[in-house]
Amino acid sequence: MKQTGLSRRGFLGTTAALGALGLTPGWTTAAFAQTGGTLRLRIDGDNDVLDPGFMTGGTEIEAQKQCLPFLAQYARDGETFTWEPSYFVTKLEQRDATHIDFELAEGLVWSNGYGPVLASDVKFSYERMKDSDWSGYFEALDHVEVTGDRTGTIVLGKPFAPFIMITLCHGPGAVLSEKAMADVGDRFTTQFPAVCGPYTYEATPGQRAVFTANPEWTGPKPAFDRVECNVITEVKAAELAFEAGELDCTEVGADTLARYTKNMPDGTAIAVAGELQYMWMGMNTEHPKLQDIRVRKAIQHAVDVDTILQGAYSGTTAKSHGIICPGLTGQRDSAGYGYDPAKARDLLAEAGVSGLQLTLRTLNNQERMLAAQIIQANLMQVGITVKVLPLDSGPFWEMGQESKGDTWQDLELWLMRFGTTPDPYEATQWFTSDQVGVWNWERWTDEEYDRLYEEGINETDPQKRHDIYVRMQEIMENTGAYVWINHEPEAFVHSTEIGVNAAPSGELNYRRFTKA
Amino acid sequence: MSENPSESETGEPAVDASGLPDHVTDADIRESAARERREKLRMFLTNWQGVTGLILVTLFFASAIFAPWLAPYDPNALDVPARLSGPTWDHLAGTDQLGRDTLSRILYGGRVALKIAAIGVSVALVVGLILGMIAGFGPRWLDNLLLLAFDTVRSFPTIVLALAMVALTGPSLGMVLAIVIITSIPQYARVARTATLTLKNTDFILAERSLGASMARILLHHVMPNVVGPLLILAAMDVPVVVTVEAGLSFLGLGVLPPTASWGTILNEGYLVIRDAPWMVIAGGIPLILTTLGFTFLGEALRDIFDPRMGKGR
Repeated sequence: MKQTGLSRRGFLGTTAALGALGLTPGWTTAAFAQTGGTLRLRIDGDNDVLDPGFMTGGTEIEAQKQCLPFLAQYARDGETFTWEPSYFVTKLEQRDATHIDFELAEGLVWSNGYGPVLASDVKFSYERMKDSDWSGYFEALDHVEVTGDRTGTIVLGKPFAPFIMITLCHGPGAVLSEKAMADVGDRFTTQFPAVCGPYTYEATPGQRAVFTANPEWTGPKPAFDRVECNVITEVKAAELAFEAGELDCTEVGADTLARYTKNMPDGTAIAVAGELQYMWMGMNTEHPKLQDIRVRKAIQHAVDVDTILQGAYSGTTAKSHGIICPGLTGQRDSAGYGYDPAKARDLLAEAGVSGLQLTLRTLNNQERMLAAQIIQANLMQVGITVKVLPLDSGPFWEMGQESKGDTWQDLELWLMRFGTTPDPYEATQWFTSDQVGVWNWERWTDEEYDRLYEEGINETDPQKRHDIYVRMQEIMENTGAYVWINHEPEAFVHSTEIGVNAAPSGELNYRRFTKA
Repeated sequence: MSENPSESETGEPAVDASGLPDHVTDADIRESAARERREKLRMFLTNWQGVTGLILVTLFFASAIFAPWLAPYDPNALDVPARLSGPTWDHLAGTDQLGRDTLSRILYGGRVALKIAAIGVSVALVVGLILGMIAGFGPRWLDNLLLLAFDTVRSFPTIVLALAMVALTGPSLGMVLAIVIITSIPQYARVARTATLTLKNTDFILAERSLGASMARILLHHVMPNVVGPLLILAAMDVPVVVTVEAGLSFLGLGVLPPTASWGTILNEGYLVIRDAPWMVIAGGIPLILTTLGFTFLGEALRDIFDPRMGKGR
């Protein structure tokens, strides 16, 4: 009788053959095709508050876009962004400067048996936002008129040109179910009370958020049945996961972007969402050491921004001349000062300052630590000793806020980056007089600036708006409290098997991803 | 019955030199001590690990002390156009993201490591020795109190304690030093205490007491010389731990402040560009490995030779 047992030789041979098979590139491609129904992405942290009124933003907005109705969505036209009505409406029209008519699509239902999506849900959601953390986006809104089950009109209190683009396309424009919200006590955090969209949401804290196809969804099917968002805090780790084939798309840092641009690996592509980040070095105009405007101007002249762009950002970012980002109305093409250490020394001598010691606070991440060290070396050359203080994001984002402690009094220099939306008004709102001690950490006030801020919102003529925003940035620069640094792109590296869809401010919209 | 279970575990020390038999003369003793010293030196020199350790440790001290003369560049001088250069004749270990010479930064980073190791370990050793002897020799209640304090500190994981303290005070070299000292005192103190306990009731100490010597005199002149040997060996073994704690904290951005170079910050910066410039991690890791190996080899060789209990087992 012939034995069919396992011999040592047989075992070794089989293992070797299986190993060789595993290494064959064709085999791995086949395996990839089988898991094509799942899109594997990275999120940088857990989604803590999914409620559009009280969220932090970022990936929480990404989750809302999958699970809640929006009246409008971003449309990309080459390098510029515009808006278009979303699938959830059959009509979205601006009747006049203060009235926007909408009609919801038929057959939209909330999950968990909360019935159809109604115009009254829109009214509830938007009017609720006026008392939320994101009320700034709804300042222009007066009320929402309900004219039928699925029809209504958004009424603005004053003309506000960017309302659809800034508010309705972005996270705060999400619509909630009024009934479901009443059942959960008007607030929710990590679980949507009712969803209406292509995906349902489930999250395991610290591991991943998973979006699975919503069985009650009747609209257009998204390209992927399932989206897995793995929580990977560090950008570097996410890049390695992408290179190992564990992710289909992830955000990349400056030096990796430079490496990929120079030498793109096969099957990989780069997608740039927008350059809606503005970074600067701020100075506290009220601090005794920096009260003299000549000292601040000296610092403006002493920092070599071009070296920062090369040394810390590998030349992948655009030089900044203000807070208005590239491609937006009001972007400046040059700053009113340049790198000139001799002039900086003269200004310091004129101010009678010598042996100045300052503290530069920054977030503890790679690019900013490098930028901080370049600034440290630059200022050393004009006789200012800088101590770089790296901070974690918690204390960093609280340090200038009067409501969060007393650090704002000791603030001297800091590296700051804000993100914005594709309209210039959004970036200017953080520097008005009533923002002093909230987000205006430089702590200056200017009546002309406050007046221009109101004018800019109400103005509809593009050229006049441009002039207003350019002037506002000049006012900021003339306080001497700003050294403009750069506009970082939101860049994503992805497999060529998929097409990426990202908002200009960098949030991904998973349901609009495509399969190649 | 013994007062403390550890007393019987530790056994009698082989250092009791009082009460010589009549037929042994002073000259014999001197002769025998000299022979023993020669014997131990010979044992050390024939131990390859010990010699390697000694060479590495000497290199570590020399490179750190003479860094300003050895380093080809200023460790903080920026040269952005030459950033991320590979190893060349100009930059033997390449450059980092800001074009700073990695070799110079490694040499200066050694000074940080040396400073932390030398100050941290010696302060911890002295304080630990004193507290340990007091605990072992003093009254029972004091012993219990100190033991409670030692065990409390030891129960904190070092890195977690460091994270919490840095979150409260902000990162600095002084903070790293304080953390190293606080967390290493208990282990020296515990060893010193046990050794003191075994000496406490020996004849020569009792004799000293009956002559009316003060506690300070007994501890300083009679207990300490008998206790300090094993502690020094322990300290040598502890240096690499301290060096890696400093590197670890600096790696996490909780140690030295920029632009100061430390092996930890070099490793961290290298890790961030590992796909673009892998040699930076290698260059930053080598001194850390060599120092750790050096002190461990040296410490183990010394222990093998000088610890009488180890000797019997050979």
